[in-house]
Amino acid sequence: MQSGTFHTTYASDVRLRPYWPQRIRIVIVLALALIFPWFADRYWLNLANTIAIAAIGAIGLNILVGYTGQISIGHGGFLAVGAYTAGLMAVNLGTPMWITIPVASFFTAVVGAFFGLPSLRLKGLYLAIATLASQEIIIWVLTHGKLLGIGESLSLPRASNNLFGLPMEWLGNNDFAFYWICLVALILTVIFVSNLFRTRTGRAFVAIRDQDIAAQVIGVDLFRYKLLAFATSSFFAGLAGALTAHYRGVISWERFTIDTSILYLAMIIIGGMGSVSGSIYGAAFMTLLPALLSNLARALSDVVPNINSYLPYMQQGAFGLAIILFLIFEPEGIVKMWRNVKDYFRLWPFSY
Amino acid sequence: MHRRRWTFGWLVTLVLFATLLAACGGGGGTGGGTGGGGTTTEPIRVGAIFDLTGATADVGTPYARGQIAFIDWKNEQGGINGRRLQLFSEDYAYQVPRAEELYTKFVTQDKVLVFSGWGTGDTEALRPKITEDKIPFISASYSAALANPAETPYNFLVAPTYSDQLIIAMKWAIEDWKAKGNSGLPKFGYLINDSPFGRSPLADGTAFATSQGIETPLEVPSPRGATDLTPQLTQLRDYGANYIFLQNVSSPAALAIKNAKSLGYNVQFVCLNWCANEILIKLAGTDAEGVVGAVPFNHESEGGKIALEFAKAKNIDYGGADSTFVQGWTAMSILIAGIEKTLADGKELTGENIKNTLETMGAIDTKGVTLPVQFSSTDHAGAKSLKMFRVENGKWVPITDFISAR
Repeated sequence: MQSGTFHTTYASDVRLRPYWPQRIRIVIVLALALIFPWFADRYWLNLANTIAIAAIGAIGLNILVGYTGQISIGHGGFLAVGAYTAGLMAVNLGTPMWITIPVASFFTAVVGAFFGLPSLRLKGLYLAIATLASQEIIIWVLTHGKLLGIGESLSLPRASNNLFGLPMEWLGNNDFAFYWICLVALILTVIFVSNLFRTRTGRAFVAIRDQDIAAQVIGVDLFRYKLLAFATSSFFAGLAGALTAHYRGVISWERFTIDTSILYLAMIIIGGMGSVSGSIYGAAFMTLLPALLSNLARALSDVVPNINSYLPYMQQGAFGLAIILFLIFEPEGIVKMWRNVKDYFRLWPFSY
Repeated sequence: MHRRRWTFGWLVTLVLFATLLAACGGGGGTGGGTGGGGTTTEPIRVGAIFDLTGATADVGTPYARGQIAFIDWKNEQGGINGRRLQLFSEDYAYQVPRAEELYTKFVTQDKVLVFSGWGTGDTEALRPKITEDKIPFISASYSAALANPAETPYNFLVAPTYSDQLIIAMKWAIEDWKAKGNSGLPKFGYLINDSPFGRSPLADGTAFATSQGIETPLEVPSPRGATDLTPQLTQLRDYGANYIFLQNVSSPAALAIKNAKSLGYNVQFVCLNWCANEILIKLAGTDAEGVVGAVPFNHESEGGKIALEFAKAKNIDYGGADSTFVQGWTAMSILIAGIEKTLADGKELTGENIKNTLETMGAIDTKGVTLPVQFSSTDHAGAKSLKMFRVENGKWVPITDFISAR
């Protein structure tokens, strides 16, 4: 009896999904994703869209932090760049979203590469502070937006929410229509990023993370690949930001403060550093935690009176508790917990 | 080690499972209808989000207590036509995404008819949804951008807009300057919350000031969570501001007042709505003496007494912020008055009908807390005037009659 999986060819070793349960899982997850919106009401659709957008942003951050090892606490700022680029184009030029979203993503990539410049000289804590500065600079520009002709908050015209001339209403209500947009964007992001780390570029990123001096010695151009990591990461931040702008219809900088940057870091820590699926688990966990807690409190309110008055404090506590518990018991995040479950079955009966 | 990981994994799975079950249970039980004529006893569903833990929790908490207390009081009075009011409310910690999630939950799952919001940022972010869902919406944000029914047909303002408050405060300041025997014109400065809330009235205020021949006021934002505002005050002193208008919540405003005292900067502070309350006096102590405030909700009135006595009888702890408690109470009472009138007219309870009733029902009496509030189909700023108050012996005392901005 074979316990565990053994690769006998190089081709099977580099395959993205080497095991048949993984392929079945993809089919099941896709099927569920296709069925879900027909049964969910707008509240659950809203949550699903929030998770999908957060997952795109978290995957972007994971490219930088989890795969390349460059810490960033400026992710909220890059989301803002994407959101405001899309928003300003839609408001001032009336550009439809199928143009604004890609343009905003590429523009954010450029901005991200620019703010990534200090990464060549700075490492660790110093880089963290440099990215913090980029966060503050971007938010400063937005709050003093009148200097640049940007309003403090932007209200996007509904008409800009169209795909190649087809208005979104054609698909159904706003939450339902955007479910499909977010889903497609998330799937494309997952496919791109999962494959990125099977390429030369992706391996260079990982080499930089593991030991940058060694990477340089074996011929990785640090400057180029660090900037590329910043640009790729910011590209997805821009994508998430632009999706937020079009989905929500109104954006203000309050959505993209330092708190947001920290939240995204928490997502990838809880979900799993250096893992695409981990980013999605983390985004889902952080979005669902407060929602589920409040539903739980309401269900218990008959049994435990006054629970609602403690709820706000429980929510704040739960957020911190979740992070601490993960750091203590499973620093590698939800993705590792899932992997443990899988390994248990795969290695059974000889797990050691 | 391995065993411990398994235990943790099971724990997480169990908790998630339990919460999911709870979520389903919560969702399933609330499928009932919302409409209905005169005979049903179905409760009337009201939604609200509060800031109890976020950046504006100091005034958010008494406001929330006031709103909840009004619902309880109304139910004790027998509800509306024998129908109870049911409040769906939760803390959103002043975070826009959380506000969106809770709003969607209360509207789509709990089928609330009307909604009471809080901050400027989240009220503006919810704007398109409110219009789409046809939910009559009041909020504690009096941003002038929300008063035009052509753009935001379901947002109602129950107090003078921040712009009007600032203009009224400036009118008072110009009179005060003359009354003190000064010649020429005073210089104005703004010390504001660094947010859409803080900046909301500045453009209109500056336009008014310059139309009076006053130099463009200096705008200084106070950083969030600042523990010392001396640099900001030094900037205002160097500019030579005689009056500083504070568009902020109580805690940072109190800090500014104290810092100015220790800096030896003798300036007249004028608080707009959200810092003109008892929390400011509590925090700033004797330094608050002489501070002037634009207080849209007069708690020393018949309506205010009903609210405060109810709070006393029920032992409601709102941190001594009488005026903010009365403000929350009164804001909710105006929204409920719309529902009551809609039912009295024998109309079906829908968002659209409540909105039309609010626009056509004429003046709503708040028992002296404000001048009667009146909405129309072209103007959703229901109140136009307020009294200026001053802190004397640790209490807010009215010093003018009702002043209007125009």
